Amino acid sequence: MSAIDVAQALWLLLAALGLNIAVGLGGQPILGQSAFVALGGYGTVLLADRADLPLGVAAAVAVLGAGLLGWLVAVGSSRLRGAHVALSTWALAWLAFAVLTAFPGLYGGSQGLVRPSPARLVSRFLGVEVVLTPLWHIVIAGTFCAATMVATRSIVRGPVGLDLAALRAGPAAAESLGIPGAALRRSTLAASAAVGALSGAGTAVLLGLIAPADVSPLLSVQLYVAVLIGGTASVLGPLFGVALLVALPGIADVVSGTADISVERSRGVVTAALLVVVLALRDPVVRRLRALLPRRGTAEDRAASSVPSPAPEGDGGHERAGSVQGEGRVVLQARGLRHAYGDIVVLDGVDLDVCAGEVVALVGPNGSGKTTTLRLLAGATPVQGGSVLIEGRDVTGLDQRGRVLAGIVRTFQHTALFPGLSVADHVRVGARGTERGGVAWRAVLRTPSWRAAAAHSEAVVQSLLQRSGLAARPAATSEALVHGDQRLLQVVRAAASSPRVVMLDEPAAGMSQEELGRLRDLVLDLAGNGAGVLLVEHDMRFVAAVADRMTVLAGGRVIATGRPADVRTRPEVRAAYLGGSAQEGSS
Amino acid sequence: MDPGIALQAVVSGLAQGAVYGLVGLGFTLVYRLTRVLSLAHGDLVVGAVFIGLLLTVGTTPVVATPSVPLAIAQVLAVLAAGVAVSVGLYVVAVRPFLPRDGSAGRGSVGVPGWVGGTLAVGLLLRESLGVVLTRETYAVADPLRLDRLDGGDGIVALPGGGTVGVRLFGVLVLGLALGIAVDRLVVASRVGTAIRAVSEDRETASLMGIPTERVVIIAFALSGLLAGAAGILAAPGGRLTLAGGVVLGLKGTAAALLGRLGSLRGALGGGLVLGVFEALAVASELFGPAYADVFALAVLVGVLALRPEGLRAQAQVPAE
Repeated sequence: MSAIDVAQALWLLLAALGLNIAVGLGGQPILGQSAFVALGGYGTVLLADRADLPLGVAAAVAVLGAGLLGWLVAVGSSRLRGAHVALSTWALAWLAFAVLTAFPGLYGGSQGLVRPSPARLVSRFLGVEVVLTPLWHIVIAGTFCAATMVATRSIVRGPVGLDLAALRAGPAAAESLGIPGAALRRSTLAASAAVGALSGAGTAVLLGLIAPADVSPLLSVQLYVAVLIGGTASVLGPLFGVALLVALPGIADVVSGTADISVERSRGVVTAALLVVVLALRDPVVRRLRALLPRRGTAEDRAASSVPSPAPEGDGGHERAGSVQGEGRVVLQARGLRHAYGDIVVLDGVDLDVCAGEVVALVGPNGSGKTTTLRLLAGATPVQGGSVLIEGRDVTGLDQRGRVLAGIVRTFQHTALFPGLSVADHVRVGARGTERGGVAWRAVLRTPSWRAAAAHSEAVVQSLLQRSGLAARPAATSEALVHGDQRLLQVVRAAASSPRVVMLDEPAAGMSQEELGRLRDLVLDLAGNGAGVLLVEHDMRFVAAVADRMTVLAGGRVIATGRPADVRTRPEVRAAYLGGSAQEGSS
Repeated sequence: MDPGIALQAVVSGLAQGAVYGLVGLGFTLVYRLTRVLSLAHGDLVVGAVFIGLLLTVGTTPVVATPSVPLAIAQVLAVLAAGVAVSVGLYVVAVRPFLPRDGSAGRGSVGVPGWVGGTLAVGLLLRESLGVVLTRETYAVADPLRLDRLDGGDGIVALPGGGTVGVRLFGVLVLGLALGIAVDRLVVASRVGTAIRAVSEDRETASLMGIPTERVVIIAFALSGLLAGAAGILAAPGGRLTLAGGVVLGLKGTAAALLGRLGSLRGALGGGLVLGVFEALAVASELFGPAYADVFALAVLVGVLALRPEGLRAQAQVPAE
């Protein structure tokens, strides 16, 4: 292997390490890395040779341009589910390829663009002139690769890595806890694209040539395979994957020699075969590797057991009068909420109040608009009409993250956890929602203020785990919990952001008597610490045990509100539940 | 643009658009039942054509018009190849990655799996056919003999001075007829009712006694049949190459997105709109022939960014 081959392999590795940021960390199936590599390569050559910019400036501009394009693609795909992201980036790869071949005047057609090699890096200002020999390329590309790996690793281990892990495992749940999903997807794809472009620029300068065939959509597939081989979120994965990719032309040559087919063809066949092998073997291999590596949670287990358990607060359960901070103050105020899906009006002017320390049950027949109300209050669905106030502050225009920061958070009707994450990490993700921006940098630098904040939120996490009875196995993954504990974990996770208002969507579903008791204690504990609790629940005995007030929804309107025992006996409530009158019956 | 040239572009665009519509229709059927956005659908089209030709005339497709029995054999072979490859795609690359309730859209767990799976099948099909068929392009004779519809030279003069091949009218009529037939089938027949039931809610359909697995396989078979038909209509134009398969599939996807993703009629209509706009862009002085693929792919990227569920998508009740 000559120096030029090594340098080329390192530049290719850089493209894969870049893609790993979006695919491995960001969890997005990106099939368009070749477009960003092409932008870097062609951009650098065009800017340096046609626009006469200094080489370094040309490369920097091309890289920034690719980062911007990646960011724009992510903006466009922020509303897309994974499948659509794959399709849209795959289309982008082909669009870039079509553009490169369609305009030979600018991009040199299938021959591509040629420039003198080895390139000279001249700085009149510094009075230096460097001839970029392959050895220089090895040093530069190697440095970039190392820097990307170190940066990726520190992100994976830091708080943002936890956000990303939650976002990969359960996007909807993570965003409901205030994790800024769209922003994280934008920045990972922008970083991925910029690093890809850097790789393209480096390769073009090294070879003195860039042609469409080198940045065809096949490259996108190969890089995607390279990242998949290592499994997601692994830093060394792409290294192994690229080792295979580097070996690929050699294998392809052997195949083409023995089977008497063109080298191009044989590369395609070998890539496809590799993809098939990867897909077939990925899960077993990753599982095997996971079993070998120490888990993220084992150290925490020991740490958790050494933390002195806080004295159980308010363990008596029901005696909470007087001790609640600021009880009676309205923390959640919704006025005239209206919502329609197309022509179907789901909510038709709903008013709701929840006070600090109060548990309000929201009940009603199926389809009466309970979950839609929670979605509107949490910011998961934009408000069409009406207003939402948290502690007197209008939050109607805010998104989910904004609402979590304002102090309102919810749980889901179905169990939506983060498979693969430990119990303690679930709760830590919940606590992350209220930490403001800039945390990533402060975490990397480990500033005193960050350490103090981290210690505080860790104390909140541990205290919640103790109080909910989930502290026994903090390092167990959520899949290992029984159903009732999973439901409890959902509540604890939401409560970790120390919200003013907690909204629980049928938390008691499927719970045993013993688990119901623990849930009741937890709900009363939250209210006892000053939070307002809005509870959607069908289990009337549970409602009677925890709720101070009960509001009944039917047909998108509030038909009754008051003490549970009184409300249940009212005729209109009975009619709504038993389907008596058509107007107030379930929709 | 000269009105004569514009009319010529519109007619040829409509014919090309009918092909895009059929490709989009097959893509949509698969999406409706599995929420899988197949990345192999274009390879399915060219794969069906070239496998059919390999089976009937070998590695050197001849330009001469085939005899009637050979033509029938070719059509049947292409359609059968489309069905076989499409069902094979489902079994190998899609089914293993579907969650047990059959909806790929809910969680993102299976997405990297079937994205990789459909990519791999497409690539493998394209490259292994390329091992046998080594030439860049193949001129394919029309087994349907649509160019002899007028019994003469096959050229029709349009008002305004433009001319188009009479074949295009045949392609347009056959393509639309097939597309509408499939739409009717799904709307009105028993199988169609089952298909709609499974696409609405696979679990409930299964509980109602519908053999969901069989229905999904039928839909994939239908999708493959449409791909084969699209191939038969498109191939004799001489523009069908192995390498062009992916772009054709992406154009079909663009057609599906110009309507509402999941709507069969929308895909057919979207195909016609895309075909006409592409033909007009290519014929105009402003753009020109270089923009043929660039235009459609830019439309696809743009629509996906702005309206991922299709231009005419409506607000949906969130699945929660």
